[in-house]
Formats: sequence, structure tokens, C-alpha cells
Amino acid sequence: AEAMATEWNVSVWGKRRAFTEHVEKIAELVSEKTNGEFTMNVSYGGLSKNRENLDGISIGAFEMAQFCAGYHRDKNRVITVLELPFLGVENLEQEVAVSKAVYAHPAATDEMAQWNAKLLMTSPMPQYNLVGTGEPRDELAEFDGMRVRATGGLGQAFEAVGGVPTSVTATEAFQAMESGVVDTVAFAQHAHLSFGTINEADWWTANLNPGTVNCPVVVNIDAYESLSDAEREALDSSVDEALDHYLANYAELLERWDSVLEEKGVQKVEIAPEVIEEFRAKAATPIRDAWIADMEGQGLPGQELYDLVVKTLEEAKAGGS
Amino acid sequence: MEPIEIGIYVSAAMLVLVILGMRVAFAAGLAGFVGLVWLRWNGFDYDPDRFWKAVEISTKIAGLTPHSKVSAQVLSLIPVFIMIGYLAYYAKLTTALFEACKRWIAWVPGGLAVSTVFATAGFAAVSGASVATAAVFARIAIPEMLKIGYNKQFAAGVVAAGGTLASLIPPSAILVIYAIIVEQDVGKLLLAGFIPGMFSAIVYGSMIVGIAMIWKNVGPPVSGFTWKERFESLPPALPIVAVVVIIIFFVYNPFGDAWGTPTEGGAVGAFIIFLMALYRGMRWAQLKDALLDTAKLTVMIFSIIWGVLIYVRFLGFAELPDAFADWITSLDMAPIAILICILLAYAVLGMFMDAIGMLLLTLPVVYPAVMALNGGELVSAADSAFGMSGPMCAIWFGILVVKMAEFCLITPPIGLNCFVVAGVRDDLTVQDVFKGVTPFFLADAVTIALLVAFPGIVLWLPSLAG
Amino acid sequence: MAGSAAVLEDSSLLSKLDRWLLPVERFAALLSGLAIFSLMFLAAYSVTGRKFFASPLAGYVDYIEAAMPVIAIMGVSYVQRDGSHIRMDMLVGALKGRILWLFELISVLLMLLLIVFLTWGAWEHFDRSFDCARPLCSRDSSIDIGIPIWPSKLVVPIAFAVLTLRLLLQTWGYGRAFILGLENPVAVPMTLTIAEQARIEAKALEGAD
Ligand code: NA
Ligand code: NA
Repeated sequence: AEAMATEWNVSVWGKRRAFTEHVEKIAELVSEKTNGEFTMNVSYGGLSKNRENLDGISIGAFEMAQFCAGYHRDKNRVITVLELPFLGVENLEQEVAVSKAVYAHPAATDEMAQWNAKLLMTSPMPQYNLVGTGEPRDELAEFDGMRVRATGGLGQAFEAVGGVPTSVTATEAFQAMESGVVDTVAFAQHAHLSFGTINEADWWTANLNPGTVNCPVVVNIDAYESLSDAEREALDSSVDEALDHYLANYAELLERWDSVLEEKGVQKVEIAPEVIEEFRAKAATPIRDAWIADMEGQGLPGQELYDLVVKTLEEAKAGGS
Repeated sequence: MEPIEIGIYVSAAMLVLVILGMRVAFAAGLAGFVGLVWLRWNGFDYDPDRFWKAVEISTKIAGLTPHSKVSAQVLSLIPVFIMIGYLAYYAKLTTALFEACKRWIAWVPGGLAVSTVFATAGFAAVSGASVATAAVFARIAIPEMLKIGYNKQFAAGVVAAGGTLASLIPPSAILVIYAIIVEQDVGKLLLAGFIPGMFSAIVYGSMIVGIAMIWKNVGPPVSGFTWKERFESLPPALPIVAVVVIIIFFVYNPFGDAWGTPTEGGAVGAFIIFLMALYRGMRWAQLKDALLDTAKLTVMIFSIIWGVLIYVRFLGFAELPDAFADWITSLDMAPIAILICILLAYAVLGMFMDAIGMLLLTLPVVYPAVMALNGGELVSAADSAFGMSGPMCAIWFGILVVKMAEFCLITPPIGLNCFVVAGVRDDLTVQDVFKGVTPFFLADAVTIALLVAFPGIVLWLPSLAG
Repeated sequence: MAGSAAVLEDSSLLSKLDRWLLPVERFAALLSGLAIFSLMFLAAYSVTGRKFFASPLAGYVDYIEAAMPVIAIMGVSYVQRDGSHIRMDMLVGALKGRILWLFELISVLLMLLLIVFLTWGAWEHFDRSFDCARPLCSRDSSIDIGIPIWPSKLVVPIAFAVLTLRLLLQTWGYGRAFILGLENPVAVPMTLTIAEQARIEAKALEGAD
């Protein structure tokens, strides 16, 4: 049977939201470009649990999936460089640029190839600022003993100033906050909206900007290689378009954000620059150095990856994004 | 072949296996596994060279499911709730409760029967399992009722029916299982069970008083307890109150922030009961028995959970739940009429099946359909068919199906609670118990109708919790 | 719901193997029970630390998730030994003799088929997370404190392997009963009517209070 229609199963989780718009868009684009020969069936949680999406790709259970690096850092050590705290990424365009550079690094492609996975694109997210209840925590001392829902490098950052990362899944974050299991939740804006944490919050840190989470979209290598040339071309050429759509959509959400805060009666907390500097001093350098040493110890080019991020970010900032 | 067709054939085959007596967990797991292979090979156009590839992929998908699905923090509630029930035996809470209820409320007509109902309701607050409650009270309450001239069949019916309260009043393993399958907030569901559970107890109680006033020989009131005797009966039963308060306050604190998660509430409750059991003479030998029994029931329940979730994984690939929801919403019937048909179908199914197995096997397909019927997961109360938001509908339907499942514990031909009561008492046949439980059976039908007609009974408490 | 039932014993090799496997299964179930018991302490400790000492337990969720496979799956064979896994026994409850053993034999063979594949699949799941070229052999780690997940994944194929042995013994037991037309075969759970089950269940509670 040749010239058969290709149908890919795509495993994501939660509900359709800003975080999945590029996946929806790429499905739409490839179908258009191949006249419906190559279609994608996006499933929200029907095919796998989010923490097993990389396993699913490795097995060949589905052809495309999204996951977050912080869920299981030992599965994807290389790309956790993008989750280091205080990298200084200022917007989604810069986030796309640094992710793209790291995804193209041989260490990253090699590690993902062990899971039979190819990194297709990132799911850029703004800085994970905190929401919390009660009095705003705007001094470092107030982070001591704070139970915070923050994964990966972010969790480590808060740990460095005495916080206790308590990472319920995104869907449980609301209940965890309501019941006082966590005091604060670090999320991107879309998730504060989608998972309802903003409804429970009294305040939101506008400028803490401790870092973000990296959630790539990957494809199964065998499936990718068995695409026809036309199909592969349709997929590859749609990545940038899909990301552009994602960025435009997210920009709208961010524009709405201030009015959301106002409507929900959430106080916008501006943290003093010296407090942020103190946090950065305690968290950024030690965690970065420890990360590099850990990677180098495991035979991975930690320093090189970190330098790549710094260099790419400088270029992106110089280039005006 | 279309994936949906494969979904239907495999589901039908699974039901046949279950009816033929294959263990539910394994029938569901096998159906899911075979379905995954079939679906995959169908995708390969039945190419013989790729059959083993289809088997390999399906094996790996099925093989990761048990670990992946049971490794969830919220599921730890189930074993903790089960353990509370077993430890409660050793804490001798049952007799204490019955004694307290007797001294405080047995002065009403049909007093001892009413006391039994409220003692079972109280015991429900430390027990997640209906059958165990019925077995325990068959030994405590029936002899006392017979001693003062109760009708034997009626006394047995009271206990069989009272036992069913355990699954609505928190802690309840079955409500936790429902919450997990449909991915809803466990805390709110547990909270939601409290009032319908107490409501059921009050309906039972009022009915007994009514019957006792019409037929004098059903059961005389028991009076003459002094206030001193009444107050003396309270301390031994006190841990129950503590556990109820703790579990509720961990989920919903009317005076401020909730204390924590349901799991933590359950664990602290279990800890109190454990200390009580130690005080009442439980030692390592008894503890070991309690732990083995807890482990056994836990494994029985979890096996069905992972087995069914392999089947659910297959359903996800076959897209069957979506198709069923589309079909249900396309029916030319009022949504409430369809809902009542679904509840009646559960009544029939429940006559032949274990409650947990029944819910786990059917909910993956039925629940999305009910949500679609109401207007979707995110529908607002104003736009919905049943006049409640998506999350509230999930809670309401959960309480309804759990109450249905409980109802089936006292319906012929295999209402398990009736068999258990007859099993405990040598002087009672199953027919006796079924005869005695008939009025309660009618009372339950009324309760369910009221819960359908007035969802506020279910939804008031969880809506307070935000 | 099928309650537990009696397993008969004699001096045959089959019965010896049955009694040899039982302590292994009981130990596994006890591990599960102890894990549940420690869950209680862990939660009580966590909530006390949080409420009264403002020092929450780091990795609380990670520890619970790691313990869940022990709690939920470890005892799977112990429960199968005396036929306690839930089933609908309206039909089999009414059968007797050879025809009953045939039904049970088919049922156990189907279970065996499933469990052999699941043991393989669960092992693969473990194997994907296990790589001794790395620190702690870990290729998959927990979300907060980054503990390796492979030990918890390994629990599943071990539990299923024990269950495979149990199902082989039961296949032998039911096959023998079917071929020889036995009335009271050893090493398999005897099917009980609902009434008999209820009596046993009630008796089991008797000693308790
Ligand atoms: Na209960
Ligand atoms: Na009897």
C-alpha cells in the first residue's frame, strides 16, 4: 500500500490553551499543505500521562508529544540548561531563540535520540512569576519555609532561599493552594488562568522573573523518517509559522493580563531591585555552577551549553528581539 | 476497519468475559491489551510482517500503565481510608457508638432500629466499606433488637440498609475512585457525600418511626437512661467525632483556610484511630492482621484500577468515549430523561455486579457522555441542561451513581449486604433479610428521586468550599 | 464480589509448590501493608511539620508516589492465591465439577497470557529508566527532589513475575482437576456460593472486636 494517508497521534495534556496553540496550528498547517494527506490527531490526555509522554515517543505509541523538562530531569539533562534560574530571558522571542540554539546542539539531539525523539520546537513561556495568598512576600526572608509549586531549576532557586518546592501537578495546583498545601504557585500567566490559581490569589509578583520552564514538542524519529519528502517538508516548514501563531496568541493574552488582575482583585507586587539582586546572588550563580559541574561530571558539555545560551541571548537582544 | 468498531467489539468481548466470571481487573486489562494490538495492526493493514511490531508497541504501552497510573499522590487516599476501617475494629468503636446512640435516641418509636441507623451512619465516618459495616452491626445490633421483641426480618433489614451509608459519608473509597476516574476534585466529592449520606440516614430514621407508630409490634421505644449514663457513653465514641471533624476541616474549614489535603486528613484520622486501638489492647499480631487485610483490599481495588486504565488507554486510541458522547447528545430525548435511563441502567447492572467494578468499567464511557449532555466540562450553570456548572455536574452525578451502587447492595438477587447479614446470623435466611429490607429499598428509591429533583442537597456543601 | 476462599492442601508436589510460594506472596502483601502504615506516619509528620513548625517535609509528594506501586501492586499474587480478585460469580457460582474447572482453566490461561505480556512491558518500562552509566543508575527522576524512579518501576515486573508463577500453579491445578474430574482439587481456590462467602467474611471479622 503506497501513497497511503499519514495520520499522526499527538499526545498533549490538560485542555486546549495558549500552551498548545502551536501544536493545534501545526496540525492545521500540515494538513493544508498536503491536501489532507498528512493529518494530526491531537489528544488531550487520552494517550498518555504527561510525565510518560517521552516514554510513549520512545515506544512508538504516538508520533508527536509535548513534555516539560522539569518533570523528569534525568530523562532530559541537556535541555534543563534552559530552566536555570535568572538566565535573563526577557520575552518569548528570546525564549524561542535560546531554545532553538540548545535544541540544535549535538548533546541535546543525542540525548533525545536515546528516546527515539527529535526536538521539533519549544513551547515558549514567559517568566514564572508567583501568585500567593495573604500578605505579599516581597522580601527574601519571607521565602523561608514557603511551600512553592515550582519545578526544575525554579524549584532549586526557591530552595536556595529557604523555600520548599512542593510540586503537585498543574491540575492539582488550585486545590493545593486552596487547601494551603502550597503557599505560592509559580506559573506562566496562561496557566494561572487555565488552572484557576489566579482566582485564589491575593497577589502576583510582576517583576521577580526567576526563570521559566522548558517544554519541547518532540516527534518520533522513525515516524519522522518514514514521512514522504513532501510531508516532511510540510512539517519542517510549518514550525516557524506555528510558533509565530503561538507568539501572537500569547501576546494577546499578556495584553489582557493587567485587566485580569484588576478584575480578580489581585495585587500587582513590584519587588525592589535590591531584593531581586539578593535573590539572584543566592540562587543564580551557585545553582548554575552546580549544574555545570554535575553535567561535566556526567560527560556532558555543561559549560559549553551554558555559554551557548548566554551567547544566543546576547545576540537575540542585540538583534532587537 | 474503523477504530470505533474495534472499540465496540473489544468492549463487548470484555463484558462477556466479565459475565463468564473472569476476574474484572484481568478481563479489562486483557481487553485493553488485545484492543491495543488489534488497533495497531489494523493501522498496519494487517501486514503479517508487522504483527510482532504491533504486539511489541502494545505490550510496552500496556506495561507502563500500572506503574504510571498508580504513582499518583491522590490515590494514596484509598489505602488510608481502608486502613481507618480496619483499625476501627480494634479500637472497639462499633459497640461504643451503638451504646451511645441507644442511650441518646432509643426513646423514640422504633428506637433501637433508629439508633442502629445512626450508629451505622456514625461508623460510616470511619469506614469506607459498606459490607464490613453491615457485618459488624449484624452482630451487635440484631441481638439487642431481638431481645426486646423486634420482628426478626425487620431487624435484619435495618442493619443491611444501614450498612450502605458507609460509601457516601466520608471517608469513602468508592467516592475517591470516582473522583480519580473522572479527574475531579476529591475533596469536594467527599464533602458532597456528607449531606446525602446523612439525608439517607434521616429518611431511614423517619421511615422507621412511621412504621413503628403504625405497627406497634415492630419495635418498642427504649427509655430510662439517665443523663449521667448518656454522657458517660460519649467518650468511648469520641474518636469518631474527631475523625469526622478532621476529615471535613482538612477539606473545608468554614472558619478559614482548610487544614490540608484529604489525604493528610485521612492520615491524621487514621493515626488517632491507631492510638485508640493501641489503648484498647491492639498489639503486633492484631496490627499485622489489620495490615494484611488492608493490603489485600487495597490490592483488590488497585488491580481493577490499573486493569481498567489499560482498557481506558485503548479507548483513548479508539476514540470511543467521544463517539458515545456524540451519540448520547444526538438522541431526541430530554437530557434529564436520558440521565434517568442511565441511572436505571446502573440499577440493573448493579444487581449483578460489584459496585467498584461496575463504576470503573462504565464511567470512562458514560461520564463524558453525561458531561456532554449537561453542555460540556466547562459549561456555566446558566447554559447547562441540568442547571449546574460542569464541575458541579461531575459531583452531582458522582453522588448519584455511588448512591445507585449502594442501593444495589440491598436489591435482589445478589444484594451483598443482605447475604452478609444472613451469613452472620444463623437464624436468618437471605429471603428473611430481603423481606425485611424492602421498606428501606423503597426509602432509597425516594432518596434518589429527591437527589435528582433537588441537586441542592448534594451541591450546597461543596459550593460553599468555592 | 468474591470473598476469599479456602485452598486445599495435600502432600503432592503441586501442593508443596503452592505452600512454598505462599510465604513469598504473604511477605509481599505485608510489605504493602507496612507501606500503607508508613504513609500514615509520613502524612501525619508532614502535616505536623507544616502546621506547627513551619518546616514542611521536602519531597513529600515524591516519596508517596514512589511508595504507591508497593502499596497497590506488590500483593497482587497474594490476592490471586485464594481467589479474592473481584469477579462476577453469578455464572461460575452455579457450575460444578469438570465444566467449572474448564471455565476456571480458561480464565486462568487468559490471565496468564495478559500477565506474561505485562511483565515484559513493565520490565521495559523499568529498563528505560535504568542506566548504570549514570549517577544512581538513573535515567528518570522525581519532580521535586529528583530521586531515581527505577526502584519503584522495578516493583511492578517483580510483582507480576510472582503472579506469573502463581498463575502457572493454578493452571496446573485446574488442568489436573479438569482432566481427572476431581471434586476437591488442591492448590486452587474453591469456588463458594455467595452465602458461603458471606459467612467466611463475617467469621473473619469475628475475632476483631
Ligand atoms: Na464512609
Ligand atoms: Na443465615
